[in-house]
Amino acid sequence: MRPLSHDEFAGAEPHPVASGMNILVVGVGGQGVLMISKALALMAQRQGFQVKQSEVHGMAKRGGIVFSHVRFAERVWSPTIPQGEVDALIALEWAEGLRWLDHLRPGRGVFIADTRKIVPPFACRARTPGAPIAYARETPAEIVGRVAEGWALDATGIATALGDARAANTVLLGRLSAHLDYAPADWQAVIAAIVPKATREINRKAFEAGRAWIAPAMVEAPPPSARTAPAEGPATVPAGRPVVSIDPAWCKGCRICTTLCPEHCLTMQGGVAAVTAPDACTGCHVCEWLCPDFAITVRREGVLG
Amino acid sequence: MTDATFSPTDAALGGGEPPFDVREWLRLETMPHFMCPGCGHGIALRTMLWAAHDCGIDKDDLAVVCGIGCSGRIGGYIDANTFHTTHGRPLAFATGLKLARPDLTVVVVTGDGDCLAIGGNHLIHACRRNLDITCLMLNNEVYGMTGGQVSPTTSAHRITSTTQAGNFEPTFDACRLAEAAGAGFVGREVTRQAPALKSLIARAIRHHGFSFVEVMSDCTEIYGRKNELGEAPEMILGQKADMRPEVYNDAPDRPFRPNALPTGVFVERGLPEYGDSVRAHVAAVRTGGTGR
Repeated sequence: MRPLSHDEFAGAEPHPVASGMNILVVGVGGQGVLMISKALALMAQRQGFQVKQSEVHGMAKRGGIVFSHVRFAERVWSPTIPQGEVDALIALEWAEGLRWLDHLRPGRGVFIADTRKIVPPFACRARTPGAPIAYARETPAEIVGRVAEGWALDATGIATALGDARAANTVLLGRLSAHLDYAPADWQAVIAAIVPKATREINRKAFEAGRAWIAPAMVEAPPPSARTAPAEGPATVPAGRPVVSIDPAWCKGCRICTTLCPEHCLTMQGGVAAVTAPDACTGCHVCEWLCPDFAITVRREGVLG
Repeated sequence: MTDATFSPTDAALGGGEPPFDVREWLRLETMPHFMCPGCGHGIALRTMLWAAHDCGIDKDDLAVVCGIGCSGRIGGYIDANTFHTTHGRPLAFATGLKLARPDLTVVVVTGDGDCLAIGGNHLIHACRRNLDITCLMLNNEVYGMTGGQVSPTTSAHRITSTTQAGNFEPTFDACRLAEAAGAGFVGREVTRQAPALKSLIARAIRHHGFSFVEVMSDCTEIYGRKNELGEAPEMILGQKADMRPEVYNDAPDRPFRPNALPTGVFVERGLPEYGDSVRAHVAAVRTGGTGR
């Protein structure tokens, strides 16, 4: 009846289900961190464990940090997991996974992460397309090689291929389930009890995809670098530079565009608006949207129209 | 490492597929239009066409019915089926048009005076019947074309050519009026929030029933200048102070800026649509029933 500690597991085989487990689920707002922890908590409860769960979701709606501690054992005292005692870390966003890496149990913890990046606004150094961003440089191979057991998979890509990118969390849950000693049917029952009716089918498929993902890699036991999922998905980096064109014959010189352009690309010249700082343009379209005379067009370089 | 990076800057870049080009929707021989520099009606026109584009409507299936006034003139610039009608009666014309041609998407563009004063009666009955048309009321708080007389929506203390010492009349809240009269969809947005306005209009067009959208527009020359509201940029920036993006339900509890108008969708309800009722009634009578 003591709290779980590192020593209790020292030297034991990684088969945590019998005696309980500490799971940390991390991500950003809107990814379904809490849905995973709910599923884990319900699953553990149905197995007869005592469960404690605590979360932080303050800035969730703004893409902020979300994390959730799930602890289950015969008896759980504290609702939060101490640093270095996480048995499984599930990261729905790559950099968030790195942020919590030090919470993993040294030499034993399992790391499961989606490789898809969601760059926070404050990591964008400039609003120009293609501008450098401040984001974690570590590759999945590096991280996977650093932890005891790690899987970095493109869960978002897998979920998108199944029809809904929002099911990425269930893909990761499926991946975790391959690690625990519970029947897939029990997991599916838990998921069906939690998700909205309309999404049961996609979540069922996502869970199976996540659970099946590991199978080939486990059999062949490839080097850590080969465990990384292939880089896939559409490149969302804009193709060309934005180009603002102004038709002086239609411009009536109302100054809306020159006043409201956030980058001050436009100035009035001889009674009509003119593009004087084309390189500063970020392609935000405000001038185009708010021109009452349809004189402004913003197009990407190399895009027709 | 995957390059499939989502950066928040990408989301704001706009440009759907296919990209919207306003010039494809305009009668280019009539451009540039007659409206004053900085007039909000130009932004409203562009946004309305953008919404039609987003709804995937073909030009031949779009009918724009306009009344009289600055707002009534914008129909002439649209390369679709357009109908310039009598003062205050675009909703009456549109009712006949929609009943005769239910396949058309009918959008009525009207002004605050056209819709609420001269055509006030037509508005309440169009709302009551709930026929599947979309009514855009461009509210610039003044009769711009006829010389800047006071309108039913002119704010308190504002100077117009008929209220030289400031307006003393109470104003209409057109959205509450439409809601009370029975419209199925009611919303309000400012021209400054063009993408939000576009989404609102697109939602109104898709709604099956009468949709009333109040577009808060700027009259720069006749109204803004007299009231020292600044020129076009100052007026469009000032829209932020005049509006608050909330729905009615939140409004009474908020003590700050009591005169600020809420924006957003206020009503979206499924009521019996008039065209459906008419056709069902006609079919029943033709087969010998009484239609009851």
